[in-house]
Amino acid sequence: MSAMSPRADVAVSLIQVAKSYGDVEVLQPFDLQVAEGEFVVLLGPSGCGKSTILKMIAGLEEVSHGEIHVAGELVNYVRPRDRDVAMVFQNYALYPHMSVRDNIAFPLTMSRRPRLKRGVIEARTVTAADIVDLTPYLDRKPAQLSGGQRQRVALARAIIRQPAVFLMDEPLSNLDALLRADMRTSLLEVHARIKKATLYVTHDQIEAMTMADRVVVLNAGRIQQIGRPRDLYTAPANTFVAQFIGSPRMPLHDLEVRDDGILHFADVTLTGDADVPLAPGASVTVGLRPSALRTTSSASACFVGEAKRRDYLGSDSYLEVDLGEGLSVVVRAEADAEVRPGDTVRVDADPGAIHVFDEAGARICGASVCRRER
Amino acid sequence: MTAMHTTEHKKRGAVASKDRARSGLPRSRPAISLSYVILFVGVAIALVPFLYVVSTSFKESTSLFSYPPDWIPSPIFWGNFESLFADHPFAQWTFNTLFVSGAVTALKLWFDSMAGYALAKMEFAGRRGVALLLLLSVAIPISALIIPMFFVVRYLGLLNTYWALILPPLANPLGIFMARSFIVGIPDDLEASARLDGASEFTIYRKIVLPLIRPGLVVLGMFTFMLQYTSFIWPLIAVQDSDRQVLAVGISGLQSAFLQDWGLLSAGMLAAAIPITVVFLLVQRAFVFNDLSGALKE
Repeated sequence: MSAMSPRADVAVSLIQVAKSYGDVEVLQPFDLQVAEGEFVVLLGPSGCGKSTILKMIAGLEEVSHGEIHVAGELVNYVRPRDRDVAMVFQNYALYPHMSVRDNIAFPLTMSRRPRLKRGVIEARTVTAADIVDLTPYLDRKPAQLSGGQRQRVALARAIIRQPAVFLMDEPLSNLDALLRADMRTSLLEVHARIKKATLYVTHDQIEAMTMADRVVVLNAGRIQQIGRPRDLYTAPANTFVAQFIGSPRMPLHDLEVRDDGILHFADVTLTGDADVPLAPGASVTVGLRPSALRTTSSASACFVGEAKRRDYLGSDSYLEVDLGEGLSVVVRAEADAEVRPGDTVRVDADPGAIHVFDEAGARICGASVCRRER
Repeated sequence: MTAMHTTEHKKRGAVASKDRARSGLPRSRPAISLSYVILFVGVAIALVPFLYVVSTSFKESTSLFSYPPDWIPSPIFWGNFESLFADHPFAQWTFNTLFVSGAVTALKLWFDSMAGYALAKMEFAGRRGVALLLLLSVAIPISALIIPMFFVVRYLGLLNTYWALILPPLANPLGIFMARSFIVGIPDDLEASARLDGASEFTIYRKIVLPLIRPGLVVLGMFTFMLQYTSFIWPLIAVQDSDRQVLAVGISGLQSAFLQDWGLLSAGMLAAAIPITVVFLLVQRAFVFNDLSGALKE
């Protein structure tokens, strides 16, 4: 019996699941529940254990510890084919000797209980192909398709099973940027149409932020934070999440809180949230979200510094501004702002721009600029 | 100055000719001529004995040793072939050889591919040990195995039967290794996907793995068939009955200590080469290598 029983509307429930290979612990115990119809993205750098989670749910990897429930049923000892999950692989894993039609129909031709009639299989194949716009290509071999089309075959092969849960392991990672954006939209349209719980693995934060209902951020086998994309962005649980989410990367600075509980950052003082005072003498890390900082001409600007470098992105540009004392910030500026290295730049911070983390990297609070000292 | 120039010039020439060779451009005329001479000598070394056999098989024994040799027999003499089929069970030997070689090839491909699949893709205790033992057994020469094999086959009461010719070659581990190496190359995701789709282990082997390693199996099958078709020592020992004998042994029996009928022997060799040539031509198309393009992201 499990210590926690999954709720009825939960499609996948992982309870204290962990994975190790011998003495090497690749995933530390964690809990995760995915509601029916929810799109959850597992996000993290390579080797963080995100694909291992999918494989454990699919039954392709054994679970070292904990319980996995799919559609309310404990599946730790259930064979992959009986788990009611379908997986789209990082590599498309299409059968190269079979036509698109046979590839899509393969799960149904394998079905024994009930054994399906040929007409039923054909009808469902055509429907699945139609959902992913593959009808004209049914008689082609995978080698005759483009990358995006192959990926859609893999998707159709998952759809045709009508599973309780979809598992997708970096399905777009090798497509070019334009096709990837199109496929993201297609995937979301398919998801909206079939409304099944989906666990989607990626290392691309843009995919995660644009597609997910919730994002699970992983690093080195440990869950860093689970939350809505906006929560991860506005209130990162630790320095890893703060730097992993958002582009450009958030610069971090190690500072010490003064004995009077005030934190100095360049020539300004920062205060924490009213209910989370900063401990006097504590070592902290301060991060400033570049997209929440902007250039201004106002004399009451938060920071004043010298422009060092400018990255032009088309829609806007980012400036690295040296604030002195070894501190710098990255600031969003107008695309056509005429700032050259060496120019003096004034910077304002939107609310929520500044985050303070403790010595171990965990978030203490947001901070606001109290006043300029000079 | 001039010497330096010459050296420089030579160097440039050498580099240019290397570049030409690398880029596939035509080489100089003497180089081409030399390569043709070498090729011609090679072809002659390979073909002359065979042509001599062809020529001899159509000659009467009286005209065999004329000097200089008559390469084109005149008139063409069919008597050697008539004698081969009329005085000896040559058709039966051919059938025996084709039957035994076909059976060994079919069974061996089946066993080798299944064992190769298990060794390449399945997790079980002692997998590495089994693979190592098989590899070591490849190193044991056939001559060291013949006597024990004879005793086993005699103990089983299989001497002088087709089984004596079919069963022992099936235990050759080289084929398992070749099959394993073909299967190792198939990405694990394909099987994982099939497993999730509901395929049993045997279905994965039959519907996914076998079609993908078909070109490799054709090569393995062809080698097995040819090896079996020409095998001599074991059939000589395991089968005494002339009606159960295979071609290689049967043909060698056409000569005796006192009488060498080279014409008959040559006719036997030529006739024996025809079926294997036909088989080779038929299977040749399947040598075209399949690939995994389209299976995975490139």
